[in-house]
Amino acid sequence: MSTILEVSDVHKSYGSLKVIKGVTFEVAKGDTFAIIGPNGAGKTTMFKVITGEVKRDSGTIRYKGEDVSDKTEFERVRLGMGRTFQVARTYPDVTVLDNIVVAIEVRRAARNENAPHWYNVSLRADIVAEAEEHLRDLGLSDKRDMEARFLSHGDKKRLELGLALAGMPEVLMLDEPTAGMSPQDRHATTELILRLREEKKMTVVITEHDMDVIFELASRILVLNHGEALAVGTIEEIRANPLVQDVYLGKEMYSAEG
Amino acid sequence: MTGLKILAGIACAFAFITLPYWANQGVMFLAGLALIEIIFALAWNLLFGFTGLASFGHAAFFAIGAYLTGYVLKAAIGIPFLLLILASGLAGAVVAAITGLVLLRRTTGIHLAIFTLALAEVLRLFIGYSTALGREDGLASIPRPVLELGFTTIQITSGNAYYWFICVMALVLGGLLWVICHGPFGRVLVSIRQDPERTAFMGVNVRGYRLTAFILSGGFSATAGSLYAPWAQIVTPETGHWIHSTQPMLAALLGGAHSFWGPVIGTLVFSVINYLTRNLIGLSEVVIGVVLLVIVLAAPNGIVGLIKMIRRRFFSTPGSSPAGTRS
Ligand SMILES: Nc1ncnc2c1ncn2[C@@H]1O[C@H](COP(=O)(O)OP(=O)(O)O)[C@@H](O)[C@H]1O
Ligand SMILES: [Mg+2]
Repeated sequence: MSTILEVSDVHKSYGSLKVIKGVTFEVAKGDTFAIIGPNGAGKTTMFKVITGEVKRDSGTIRYKGEDVSDKTEFERVRLGMGRTFQVARTYPDVTVLDNIVVAIEVRRAARNENAPHWYNVSLRADIVAEAEEHLRDLGLSDKRDMEARFLSHGDKKRLELGLALAGMPEVLMLDEPTAGMSPQDRHATTELILRLREEKKMTVVITEHDMDVIFELASRILVLNHGEALAVGTIEEIRANPLVQDVYLGKEMYSAEG
Repeated sequence: MTGLKILAGIACAFAFITLPYWANQGVMFLAGLALIEIIFALAWNLLFGFTGLASFGHAAFFAIGAYLTGYVLKAAIGIPFLLLILASGLAGAVVAAITGLVLLRRTTGIHLAIFTLALAEVLRLFIGYSTALGREDGLASIPRPVLELGFTTIQITSGNAYYWFICVMALVLGGLLWVICHGPFGRVLVSIRQDPERTAFMGVNVRGYRLTAFILSGGFSATAGSLYAPWAQIVTPETGHWIHSTQPMLAALLGGAHSFWGPVIGTLVFSVINYLTRNLIGLSEVVIGVVLLVIVLAAPNGIVGLIKMIRRRFFSTPGSSPAGTRS
């Protein structure tokens, strides 16, 4: 299978604090790639470096063979990366439908796919139809006309996922998609991600501290420890890895983070 | 409810258009001024209520349009008036582009507010020292122009004719702003206001959109200023004073910044207060201050927000109207 994302020898420091110390890995097309590790290991920072939210100090990030290390976040999104945030971010003042509509219109404009013109004041029927399809996928159809700020925590997370999906990404990056969810919501979200991944044929990069979610979703895992790549491999390989066992043995391996 | 809104709009438009037939010259002057200030307030609110950027120096753009138009009309250079209005708008847009390119690189929030305030004051001081622009006295006895439309020429030199010209221009400019605010572009702006980072991760060039909004806002503000010069027939540095910059802010806050119509309602209410208290020196400031205080405390989303709240409470319409995009 072909490589879609390539991280080579990436370093990142915040002042004198070295957070990422020469991490290298590849994500194959179609993989669900999980980044795990204890609190403060640098998972979120790694995530931000890939999405462009923070710039790496050295090393390269290649997306589909193209060096994107110096590209802005919106340029990377336009190349096909989508993401969600650890704390769900949606547009609180507008309806659930309008949240998705903006995402669709922006994608269409960026990709020249039959986008509305600036003077198209009323929502176009084909765009509303596409938005409603996304809402059905997410199970949010009955909340269509509700302002997003009134949504429950779980629904907000779902809507945010919808914002990312409406951008039709090839690589979907999820930062702690089940953080703060009840076990039922967590299960439902995992199922949703599984289903969408199959339907949309997406590559998924995920950070998560819930190991049940990881074992259910991930095809490959990167273990970070103090900003270094401790191991990369399949679930079985990671489980059998003596280094990983050494570091985590007896410890609270994947504690919740802040 | 939309029916009621349309009815109110038609009644309002009718009142403005027929005004020269039933009101005196003083009222007509204030009405024309109100229409100009409405365009100014809408232009400012495109930036604040829609994009989430606060400029405290927007009177500078207004002054650029007013001085350019006033100067050219006085010099009788013979540029067609519509072209002059367009040129004024472009001048405002160019200045907005230059300042925006510098300011919007990093600063948003309070820094943008302070920088714009400072730049506007610099411009006002510069005008005050410029002999060509009449120093502190400004440009007086600006003639009202003739409208050359190619196929015909319309005299708008009389008060009534120029007043109607303002009505038409307010409709055109307001309509243009309405379309800009309610289309896909406006939806992206409202998204940026709510969460710029989230919007960047949808693939939006946030800085580019902010700059575009800044340019549009500056251009429309200067256009409002351009209409002002022949109406007041005098332009002084006061048009660029920071107190004038607060006018659209107060109007938007009073009317409701997250609604397109908020600044319109706010400006009209202020105009009425100004008129009713015109003979009592200083009282209008007091009344405006009290009204603002009450509104901000009772209804943070202004008059429009208050109306929506009442409607929701008493008519129990579902809270489905999105704030900012459709109103
Ligand atoms: N913006 C920042 N400035 C300074 N230090 C930071 C910043 N973000 C993260 N860190 C530090 O970098 C380390 C890694 O953080 P993070 O990537 O959030 O880890 P994880 O997501 O694995 O818990 C932590 O020690 C954290 O305190
Ligand atoms: Mg984290």
